[in-house]
Parts: sequence; structure tokens; C-alpha cells
Amino acid sequence: MVNWEYSESVESQEIVNIKDKYQNFINGKFQQQNSKKYINTISPSTEEVLSKIVISNEKDVDNAVQSAQLGFEKWSNTSPHERSKHLFKLARLIQERSREFAVLESMDGGKPIKESRDFDLPQVAANFFYFAGWADKIDLSWGAKSLKPHGVVGQIIPWNFPLLMLAWKVAPALATGNTVVLKPAETTSLTALLFAELCEQAGLPDGVVNIITGDGTTGSLIVNHKDINKIAFTGSTQVGKLIQKSLAGRDVGLTLELGGKAANIVYEDAAIDQAVEGVVNGIFFNQGHVCCAGSRLLLQESIHDEFVAKLEKRMQTLRVGNPLDKNTDIGAINSKEQLNKIEGLVNEGVSDGGKIFQTECELPGNGFWFKPTLFTDVQPSYSIAREEIFGPVLTTLTFRTPQEAVEIANNTEYGLSAGVWTEKGSKILWTADRLQAGVVWANTFNKFDPSSPFGGYKESGFGREGGRQGLLSYLKAES
Amino acid sequence: MIEIKKTYKNYVGGKYVRSESGKTFTLNLKNDSFEVPLTSKKDIRDAVTSSKVGFEKWSEISPYTKTQILYRLSEMIEGNKDSYVDLLVLCGSTKNQAKKDVETAIENIVWYAGLADKWEQISGNLNPVNGEYFNISHQNPIGVVFSLNSNDNSLTSLLNSIIQPLTVGCSVISFSEESSIIALKFAEDINNSDFPPGSLNILSGQFENVFEDVSKHVEINLISICKEIPNEMLTKIQENASNSVKRIVNMPSIDGISSILSFLETKTVWHPKGT
Repeated sequence: MVNWEYSESVESQEIVNIKDKYQNFINGKFQQQNSKKYINTISPSTEEVLSKIVISNEKDVDNAVQSAQLGFEKWSNTSPHERSKHLFKLARLIQERSREFAVLESMDGGKPIKESRDFDLPQVAANFFYFAGWADKIDLSWGAKSLKPHGVVGQIIPWNFPLLMLAWKVAPALATGNTVVLKPAETTSLTALLFAELCEQAGLPDGVVNIITGDGTTGSLIVNHKDINKIAFTGSTQVGKLIQKSLAGRDVGLTLELGGKAANIVYEDAAIDQAVEGVVNGIFFNQGHVCCAGSRLLLQESIHDEFVAKLEKRMQTLRVGNPLDKNTDIGAINSKEQLNKIEGLVNEGVSDGGKIFQTECELPGNGFWFKPTLFTDVQPSYSIAREEIFGPVLTTLTFRTPQEAVEIANNTEYGLSAGVWTEKGSKILWTADRLQAGVVWANTFNKFDPSSPFGGYKESGFGREGGRQGLLSYLKAES
Repeated sequence: MIEIKKTYKNYVGGKYVRSESGKTFTLNLKNDSFEVPLTSKKDIRDAVTSSKVGFEKWSEISPYTKTQILYRLSEMIEGNKDSYVDLLVLCGSTKNQAKKDVETAIENIVWYAGLADKWEQISGNLNPVNGEYFNISHQNPIGVVFSLNSNDNSLTSLLNSIIQPLTVGCSVISFSEESSIIALKFAEDINNSDFPPGSLNILSGQFENVFEDVSKHVEINLISICKEIPNEMLTKIQENASNSVKRIVNMPSIDGISSILSFLETKTVWHPKGT
């Protein structure tokens, strides 16, 4: 056998230009903020300090909301067709500067460049293109003239797909005539701040997009601001519940895109090799930092051993390491805190009695890393089978009948996504009808498109993002 | 000759039942008065249990059959129109108002009967995704809906608080306070209209006695509030609801297609295309 030597292919960082520290983007320009509290934003793959961002305080939030209110007046006086053209222009600019964004995203967040370059950025541009075209067709979307924008929307987004989550939030909000105050996650603010530059470059009216950095305290200030008309949040179910609670009794719109513990059901009549690929993509995509990750593998008993053997073999080929290496499949865990959480749950799985398999691979010395992990011999009651791990950890359960598969799949407070693998069409439709999940991937997994609505049942949240249904998250019926 | 007066009971799981507490409260209407069940917390839990069964059965019934069952409801009311008018007059309406109210209610039911087998074509669609995939978004009913009726003695108002979730396949627990007599009477027509037991349950009582339990009950998927309630109560309901990310709709839209959207969950299914 030829022993191929590994040759890395590292994307250059030259294209990005990171400032020493950043200001908030309010009223169309970067402004000195009131808060003096800065934190470091680091690269999770090297632990190198990339820059400093500010933890915005009450005054900063207030400035941003006021700017968005003024922005709303301007945006409301801009014709829908002009709004559409603004969004088209932004979409084009994103495409033109996409490599820069992709490299920065991988540096700041730790995701493999092949994902930021080939998935995140193309999807970001696609979202702006898609919603650009809706801006002057809102009346056609639901056949109702009474649908109006909320006004000022506070948007709080997570660190797993930093710029893509921004696109999912900002594009539909602007297309429906709202203005936004957006807060990126504190570990991944850099691409949002670069996007702010783009808004300036695109000539978007001042105050339409406001981006302020900060942590949970800043998020809470946005939620509790008296002049916010709607909150859109993506993040954990725990924080989502807190937000829902804080908005109780207030006339503020709310959509929540929260956690998940998706079942990926493989029937014995599935195309096994194809299913193995899909299961690997379902859980190891983006280090498993995906709310809709297929983290519970449900195998029909008869194929369990064969499937697990193939899965372990395939997992072993996953390359873990430098996110900027174009060959890397699995990058860095986003933060030390998240790594601790993953380690904690995995240790619990082992002590509960789960059988663990981890791939043999060398992990870099610095940074935060976790080996691709598979659990078998798991009981449905184990926390690794119930809680969202949000890392590269797959838990296997078995079933005998389709009825049992559906019952196990639905036996969770979450309901974001699910997968079904079978070559039998009628079984796909039967299963999909019964799964309590906002997205069902049949013979595929983790596919996304701006025209395809995304969002959860049950405690995975409410409201949809993407598609015609996604417009409703930013519109309210007015008589 | 002594008048024989009807005893009004709650309607749960397809049966007429008294409150397990044995308690009633007096409804003083303009021209009469009735003792009606004072629903307890335990009654709420029983109604939820029935509604879960009702939801499964009702959501399995085909849209075509749902249309016919809803249409039959309008037939039933039409047949009993006079008795509704009499009751509404007891509540204080003029005969003309009462007649108009019942007629409007019937018109609304017929409209929604005709929607039961069409809404999926309006709220759902194919999505033109960038790639070789079949991708469709369609909707499922959200599940068990608790609906608080307004205090108007009006069949139209009652219908407007239940018909939308029912049309899309939810089961409904309808709760009335001062307007209970119309709701409890309406239960008789529900009973005669082929609705599966538990799909529509009718309760009377004081909402302030049960709102904490209703808003904390994790098996109620959505609370629809069709009357003005104090902000402190609404706040408490929404706070309790956040523990299970329960959906709360305050004064739901009764206008066309937007009237059903709150009671739906959008499900999107992907499948690759290939040879």
C-alpha cells in the first residue's frame, strides 16, 4: 500500500484586516460607546487574541434603539422597491467580499474554512438575495394587506453560524420594513462588525441596521428596553424561556429558535452507505455546534452492528485540526466554556454506562478540541440521549418497529428537526407525518435554503425563519 | 304547571359532566338565572386528558370528512335556531339581535367548513430550493388549545373563539364565564355532529380559579385569550407559559387566513431528487 504523506493546504489570513478594538455600529457609523468594558475575542483554534470588543451598557443599548427608531422612519419612507434594491446591493457586496468574511469567520469561530467558504458565505448571500425580492411583494405573500412591520426589532444571535444567523435575522427583518438592533455572540462578533462596514459601503440609510456587541447582560438590556417592538432570538432553550418570561405582559413580538436533540432514524431498508454519510454530516457538521444536529441516531435493531462498524470506520477518516486548512473536516470547539460542557456530558455518558468510541487523531496543542465521539449501548434515560450536547458527539439508540422509532424520536421536549433514512417512499411519508419536528430531512440531512422555513415545535421555539412563512415572524396583523 | 328547567353541565370527552367539586355558580341573566358548573383545577386536568385523545382522533380524520362534520354542525344549529334565539333573549338580546347572531354564527361555520379541506393549500407550499431537492412546507395542528371565551352572550363570539383551531385539526377546551349558558347549550349540537369525543370540550367557571393551572399545564400547547383580562393576569399566564415555551395568543385575529395561522406548526420536508 502506498503511504500517502499528508500535505496541508492552509488558507492565507492576509485577506483579513482585524482592528485592535471595535466600536459599536449605530446610526450608520462606528461610534465611541459609553461602556468602557472591553473583552478579548480570541481564536479558539490558537487561543491568540484577535481583537477587543465592548460589552455595551444600558446607555449604548438605548442609543442603538433610538437610532433604530429614527431609522424606522427613514426606512418606512423608503419605497418597498428601493428597500428591495438596497438588499440586492448588500447581497452582491457579500458575494464580492465573501472570501474575506469566510477567513475571518474561521479565525474567530473555529469552523473549517471549507464550511465557512462553501456553506456559510454562499448561504449568507443567498438569504439577502431571497429576501431582497420579497421586500416589494409583501402584499402578495399572504394575500393580506393588513400585515405591517413591528418597528424596531432586537435580534440576539448565537456563535455557531455567526454571519449566517445575522443574515437569517437581518434580511427578512429589513425586507418586511423593520429596522434592527443586532447583538452577535460575544465569542464571534467580528464578522457582524465587518458586515456593519458593508452596510456603510452599501449606503444603507443610517439607523436601519445597528450592531452592538456584548454578552448576556447586553442581550437582557435589549430585551427589556421599553421601545423594542419585537425580539428575535436564536440560542439555548434555557435563555429562550427567560426571554419569553421577561416579555410577559408586554406588547412585544417574539420568535424563538432554540435547542434540539434531533432523531436521525435509519430503517433496515435504507441505503446504508448513503445513510452513514448522512449521519456523519448530520452530527459532525460544524463540530456538532448545530441546533438541528442529528445527535440521536436511531438504528433499527437488525442493522445496528453493521451500521456502527461502518460508521466508526468512516468517522476515523475525519480530519480534525486547523480550521484554515482546506482539508479540515472538524475545526475547533468554539470556546473553553463549550468544551467544558461537552466534556462534562460525555463523562456523564461514560459513567452512566454508555460505550464510547472516539477516533484516533492528534489534537493541536493550543486551542479547544474534541475528538469525534460515538456512544452505543445507551438507554433513552441517559443525559447524553436527552440533553443537547452541541458538540461532535453522537448517541445511538435502537428500535424494532416504525411505531417505536416515532415514539422514541418524539419523546423529547425538543422538536426542531429529524432525519429519516429508507428506500421506501411510503415509509418516509408515514414517518415524516408523525415526527414532531419543524424540519424533516429524508435521505439527506442538514440541508438549508433561504426559501425553506426553519424552526421548531414544542420547546425548540416558535416562529419560522426562511421562506414565505419566515416573513410572518417580522409582520403583525393590523386592522 | 310547573316549569321544567334544564340542568346545564360541562361537556368533556363527549359526555355531559358536573364539576367533580360538586360546585356550581349562579348565572344571573337578564330574564332568568341558572346554576352552572364551577370548573375546578381537577376538571381542567380531566379536560386536558380528554383533549389529548380528542386531538389524536380529530387530527386523523381526513380534511374532506372534517368539512362535512363542520357543515353538519351548521345544520344542527340551523335546526335548533329557535331555541338559541330564545336563550339569547333570556340573556337580554332582542329577538332580532338574537336571530342575527345565530345566523352570523352559522355563516361563519359554513365558511370554515369549506376551509377545512383547503387551508393547507393556502398556508403550505413547495419551496424552490437551490439544489436537486424536493422541498415542501406544510402545517400540522399545534395540538391541545385552551380558549377563553368573551363575556358576550353571543353564539358568534363563542364560535369565533373555537372554530379556527378546530378547523385545522386542534382539539379545543373552551372556557366561558358570564357567557357560559350559550356555550353549554352549544355542547348539545357538538354532541350531535360527529365530532370525536374530546375534540371539543366545553367548560364553565371562573377563569381566575384556574388560570394558574391552565398556564402551567405542559400538555396544553396553546392558550387563546379572546376576552380582555387584567394585565397582571396576562403577565402571570405568559410567565408560567415560558416554562414549557407554551404559545399564548392574546385576542387572536378572526380575519380570513390569518385567523388560523397561530394554531399551526410549519413542517418542512426535504428529499433529494435523483435517478
